[in-house]
Amino acid sequence: MYTSFDINESVRRALDLYSQSMIKIAFTYLKNVADAEEVTQEVFLTYLQKRPAFENNEHEKAWLIRTTINKSKNMLKTGWFKSRNPVPEDLSYLPKEENEVLQAVLALDKKYRIPIHLHYYEGYSIQEIAEIMQAKPATVGTWLARGRLLLKEKIGGLEDEEISL
Amino acid sequence: MKKSVYKSAMSHVKTSEDFNEVTYQKLLSEMDNSKNTNINNPKERVNMQTAKKRTVKGWTIGIAACAVLAVGTFTMNQSTLFNTQSPSAVNTTKPPVTGKAAVNIEGVISEVSADGKSFKVGDLWVTVTDATELGIKGPTAAEPSEELLQKEFKVGNIVSGYTSQDVSTGKVTADNIYNNMAPQKDTSGNAATTGKAAVNIEGVISEVSADGKSFKVGDLWVTVTDATKLGIKGPTAAEPSEELLQKEFKVGNIVSGYTSQDVSTGKVTADNIYNNMAPQKDAQ
Repeated sequence: MYTSFDINESVRRALDLYSQSMIKIAFTYLKNVADAEEVTQEVFLTYLQKRPAFENNEHEKAWLIRTTINKSKNMLKTGWFKSRNPVPEDLSYLPKEENEVLQAVLALDKKYRIPIHLHYYEGYSIQEIAEIMQAKPATVGTWLARGRLLLKEKIGGLEDEEISL
Repeated sequence: MKKSVYKSAMSHVKTSEDFNEVTYQKLLSEMDNSKNTNINNPKERVNMQTAKKRTVKGWTIGIAACAVLAVGTFTMNQSTLFNTQSPSAVNTTKPPVTGKAAVNIEGVISEVSADGKSFKVGDLWVTVTDATELGIKGPTAAEPSEELLQKEFKVGNIVSGYTSQDVSTGKVTADNIYNNMAPQKDTSGNAATTGKAAVNIEGVISEVSADGKSFKVGDLWVTVTDATKLGIKGPTAAEPSEELLQKEFKVGNIVSGYTSQDVSTGKVTADNIYNNMAPQKDAQ
């Protein structure tokens, strides 16, 4: 049984540890920081309401990432989100090369950019991404390969870069 | 792609500086709210949500029933009035009924977007998304038939459903579409139902001759002469109102009557015209 102190502490710890990762994942999905932060808040609210039990920190992080992806998908499906015409996120403050790379990733289809993000930003392996995305490792491998190929066509890339399994 | 560049770029994406603190305060207030609502029952929040869901479900079923009744009444009235089929493109557009919780969408589709996911009913553009529920849900609801709930939205189809969005914007997303029915059509391609003694004339006037004495219903040109009887005669028949039997035949009017002539010629003289009504118009 959790006390409110325990809950407060676990939420605060999770916020400190994972909120930035979650915002970035939601941003990769929604391409908008404000929406990404809203989704992340919703995830923490769910975390507070459900109070799931985790085996370890990695399990907790994977749950938060999975929930962030699901809630981002839900937001994309909502009528108001589809009907609006948002101004693209201004990333001009980023150095030119970073801006170019980020824009290229964001321009990918979401089925490619999420695995790309999880691999290149979070450092997850194909196996781990497959578990988070509830997909087959081979499928994730294909998404990553195609995503990389598309990026290479756009901005070039490292030919010999390997993806850890 | 250079891994380090992407990682660095993503790290530099600006987020709210006080995100963690604001979120934490929000979560604390959520916890307080849930405690205050029922100290004895820590699952009050969940229960409240369930109750809300039940209320929404109740409303949905209620509205669904009303919509089905409305469509049913509409269809039945048509068949009673005209004895057989409903006209092919009756403009029954009504203003959407306003309400605080949900607003009904019902009427005839006058336009469909290129992607087929939006349609116009009256002055309202309705968009159907993946989030839009199709058919009538509920423990006692029957499975929607393809006839009542067609997959494709077409001009002339009769739709009913509701939205919780503000209809005053002129563009909403449907929360639920109960029905999407094609208007009844004559499979033989004739506008009128055929019979041996007399052939019904019924439908919507698509053209009127220059002298105003002939009109086209479907593929059939009907001429009204001095010999044509107007209205419904009989010992118990009421006097025809001007609304039901207008003097002038206009495009869009709904007419019913019959002829004893051969409709295969494409041109007949009406023996009797029972009704000549203007279509219902949006009052708003």
